[in-house]
Amino acid sequence: MIIIGEKINGTIPGVKKAIAAKDEEFIRSIAINQAEAGADYIDVCAGTAPEIEAETLIWLMDIVQGAVDKPLCIDSPNPKTIAKVFGHAKKPGIINSVSEEGEKCETIYPMIQGTEWQVIALTCDKRGIPSDVQTRVDITKILVEKAQKYDITPDRIHIDPLVMALSADNRSLLNFADTLTAVKKLYPTIKVTSGLSNISFGMPLRKIVNQHFLAIAVYAGMDSAILDPCNRDILTTLLTTEALLGRDRYCRNFANAYRKNKIGPPKNE
Amino acid sequence: MLDMQELTKAVGDLDEKKVLGLLNEFVASNPSPQDTAMVVSACQQGMAIVGDLFDAKEYFVGDLIFAGELLTSAIDILKPVMGGENTAKIGKMVLATVQGDLHDIGKNIFKSMSEAAGFEVYDLGIDAPASAFVEKVKEVNPEIVGMSGVLTLALDSMKNTVEALKEAGLRDGVKLIIGGNPVTEEACNMIGADAFTTNAAEGVKICQGWVK
Repeated sequence: MIIIGEKINGTIPGVKKAIAAKDEEFIRSIAINQAEAGADYIDVCAGTAPEIEAETLIWLMDIVQGAVDKPLCIDSPNPKTIAKVFGHAKKPGIINSVSEEGEKCETIYPMIQGTEWQVIALTCDKRGIPSDVQTRVDITKILVEKAQKYDITPDRIHIDPLVMALSADNRSLLNFADTLTAVKKLYPTIKVTSGLSNISFGMPLRKIVNQHFLAIAVYAGMDSAILDPCNRDILTTLLTTEALLGRDRYCRNFANAYRKNKIGPPKNE
Repeated sequence: MLDMQELTKAVGDLDEKKVLGLLNEFVASNPSPQDTAMVVSACQQGMAIVGDLFDAKEYFVGDLIFAGELLTSAIDILKPVMGGENTAKIGKMVLATVQGDLHDIGKNIFKSMSEAAGFEVYDLGIDAPASAFVEKVKEVNPEIVGMSGVLTLALDSMKNTVEALKEAGLRDGVKLIIGGNPVTEEACNMIGADAFTTNAAEGVKICQGWVK
């Protein structure tokens, strides 16, 4: 599983405060904590007003790259902002994200042509977010075909089928899994990704729902996820699931994480 | 005659079997339109209980969606015995999730509850630009305009929509209600809406008050 660490996001109150106060140490420590917990990429999202989004992102990127060796996941709803900050990344990471709304693909794809950059592609378009499998597959085809024009192969694309709230759409997880299967049938090397929290919107015990979603989604074949690797419960679910699915040789990742007191009930130091 | 308190409680408990059973029994007794109106009102009082329980975090989003469906089925059962007066709509409403926002769970709950309360709802869907509101308001001349959103940026779109309605000279002809996660009294004042709510059942109550 590819873990994209989600914690450096200006829509989270603590991070918002650190951005406003230019608190470099705060940002640096969450970058290091996520890298140590097993993040493969560090997501950076400014979440500020549009006028200062680019400069904030560059500030975040510089701090993260100074603190850890992990590649970035550059996160903005505005492709023009991503284009502005792109040159400040020291090594290829992931762009978060394109979709079939506006000119997103047309801005981002040429920029990452001929590089090793990957991209998260959301299956929504100007008509909104579909909940059915077929529309998601149709949008995926458009997103992948456009990418091919810029020599971006499917293995560099993480499709995010945008999971609906289970309380409103009772087949949400099943449709996610069916979309994943259909998309991989078309493009065997493509990656499928998701955030964990959409599923539990409006429900009690959201964290529990998110953990179980993660377990089933990993079993269904999800390749990457945007999550908090420092969250003990999430990491416990992830490592347990991977071991159960035969993806952890002799369960050593699981045992190591336990020995290092990263999973399960906390052991007092 | 049906026990109104029992019905109100059954709606509040979201006890589908009981509600539908009571209503079917009531309809079979060939009631007068006046009695039917009292039954509709008892159902709506039950919906207010649902809203309170949602506020108290006893009910969750799934319960609200179910409540909307239950009320729709209730009204469907009662339709044949409603008098002409009761089937007449109590008012018109133009409703949408504003531009830049694609979230529609809350908007749809509010819509089904408003329809069940007797409003004729013109739903413009999601990501609706100010111009779409203006056109629809011109076309159908509603008493109420409802704007919904989950993202913080939806507040800006709500403000833009109010400005556009003002420019078109339509603002004073309607009552404006905003709903969704980011709305507060402060946002309501900034936007220039007449009311705000984060509770669909409460929102419907406010709208009913406006058309009385």
